[in-house]
Amino acid sequence: MNAPTKILVVDDELGIREGCRRVLAEEGYDIDLAEDGTVGLQRVQEKSYDLILVDLMMPGIGGLDLIKKIYEIDPEIILVVITGYATIETAVEATKRGAYDYLPKPFTPEALAVLVKRGIEKRELRLEAQRLYHEREQRLLELAGEKSRLRSIIGCMADGVLVTNLERQLVLWNASAVRMLRLSGTDELGKVMDHYLKNRALIESLDRILGSKDENFSMIGQEIQTDNPKSVLMAQMAPVRDEQGRLLGAVTVIRDITKLKEIETIKSQFVSMVAHELRSPLAAIEGWLGVVLSGEAGGDEEQRRKWLLRAKERANSLLALVQDLLEINKIEAGKVAQKMESVQVTDVIGKIVEFFKPEAERHHVSLQMKPSVPLPAIQADIQDMEKLFTNLVSNAIKYNVENGSVSIETSLDAHFVGIHIRDTGVGIAPADLPRIFDDFFRVENKRTDRISGTGLGLTIAKKIVDSHFGHIEVESRPDRGSTFSVYLPYKK
Amino acid sequence: MKASGKILLVDDDPDFLDMHKAVLQNHGYDVLTATSGQEGLERVRAEMPDLIILDLMMEKHDAGFSFTKTVKTDPLFRKIPILMVTSVAGVTGFRFSLEEDGYWMKTDDFLDKPVMPEVLLERVDKLLSKREEGQ
Repeated sequence: MNAPTKILVVDDELGIREGCRRVLAEEGYDIDLAEDGTVGLQRVQEKSYDLILVDLMMPGIGGLDLIKKIYEIDPEIILVVITGYATIETAVEATKRGAYDYLPKPFTPEALAVLVKRGIEKRELRLEAQRLYHEREQRLLELAGEKSRLRSIIGCMADGVLVTNLERQLVLWNASAVRMLRLSGTDELGKVMDHYLKNRALIESLDRILGSKDENFSMIGQEIQTDNPKSVLMAQMAPVRDEQGRLLGAVTVIRDITKLKEIETIKSQFVSMVAHELRSPLAAIEGWLGVVLSGEAGGDEEQRRKWLLRAKERANSLLALVQDLLEINKIEAGKVAQKMESVQVTDVIGKIVEFFKPEAERHHVSLQMKPSVPLPAIQADIQDMEKLFTNLVSNAIKYNVENGSVSIETSLDAHFVGIHIRDTGVGIAPADLPRIFDDFFRVENKRTDRISGTGLGLTIAKKIVDSHFGHIEVESRPDRGSTFSVYLPYKK
Repeated sequence: MKASGKILLVDDDPDFLDMHKAVLQNHGYDVLTATSGQEGLERVRAEMPDLIILDLMMEKHDAGFSFTKTVKTDPLFRKIPILMVTSVAGVTGFRFSLEEDGYWMKTDDFLDKPVMPEVLLERVDKLLSKREEGQ
């Protein structure tokens, strides 16, 4: 202890007080004096002392009373009793009240110094013990806080948590686990896990962990299907071990992977659809090449040339399909690649109309731009806009009828510019309408089976419109025609 | 040796119809075509072909199955052999085999698309001669 040791001498005899001071000051202690019990008590209230010498026989507050009052203030203080009538009784009485030792008068300076030194050592021990005690109390308090904090964290986790002990009792769970696994009976504590858990597979896996003798056993991952609500869960179960590697129980973390599973299914469906769509034209190309190479179909030079041209057509459509797939991939890979700039949509469409004029003439379809209202510029990626309206105008020509028409009109409301591509073509049956923006969906009937297409044109169109925060709508009547309306946002 | 027989091709892909037709006609067969199961059934009823070559995937994915079921449960037509050509294997990863699927598929032979002309001719010849033996 760095602070000087503080000692108070309470005695009504001036000689004793001064004598003590002289002896103890030499030892380097900080000394205060009090001439009676009242003053002594006052000193103790004002200042904390390590050791107090008290004369048992004083006027006013008696020594024994003073001892009691001092202990009420500081129970760790060292009290040494000074008494002129050293009897067994007073000594016993004083020690009963907690005094450390007693010093009979008259005493030598050496006896005083030795006793005080011993007392101070005792005081230091007591303070150290007290410090350790407080420290332990503090640690326990922190531990309790830590425990409740951990409980709160586990309780708030989005993943479900279950802890099972070696007796197969469920000892910890959180709200997510209750919700995901539909745990029942959780108001009763300390039951075996079968009481709460209804999933057989999960219980079996936990039993495998709890029964495992293998110290290297680390984890079981298991997919769990649940009904009501229908979901797919991933349960990761791991043994809980102490520092010596002894098995204490099992901890299970449960995550809802329903959405991931759905995405996985959609992806694999898309891949198998793509594979099929690629396979059909390839098989046709190989078929035609086989016909020509084998010579089994006969035919003259001119005939063989026609067959090869059929193969070439399918090769072209295959190429267009791959092109469209790359396009979709590009749109989905990220809007990062989009270069947003101020675009006059009517200018873009004007160029596309010019480009498609010869194509329209070949199909005997009239193609006209009829901008009903002038449109403000919008923020868009110009290449995306070209692709979008190329797809829509090309469809309107392809799916048209002899002497039909395609007209492109405009509209404007408070937030959106509208572009309407109206055709007089074959139209779309109401049953097919909801599916026309799906991947690879193509309306198939007598009137469309000679029209080539990848089934991805409208998919791409919708993805472009979506990526520009717009929407696309279609109105159609079979044999009357269709109108595709694109709405894109603009800033006033 | 000129082969003979009336063969109905049912396929929604005009390329396969035309290429199989060219090969078969060149070898002396009469060839009828249909682009849907419905049209195919009409041709079966009207023309009574000796053999049907059928694509499994038509307008609906099970069109091929319902077509064969209709033909094979009709006492008048059940004897007509059906050669199923399909690209299903490529989509589903499943392969059809006569041993495992022949019973419920009720067809007489399977081939994966594309069918090379030599293979097509060999199978057609085999199915038609089997039919003659059976009669």
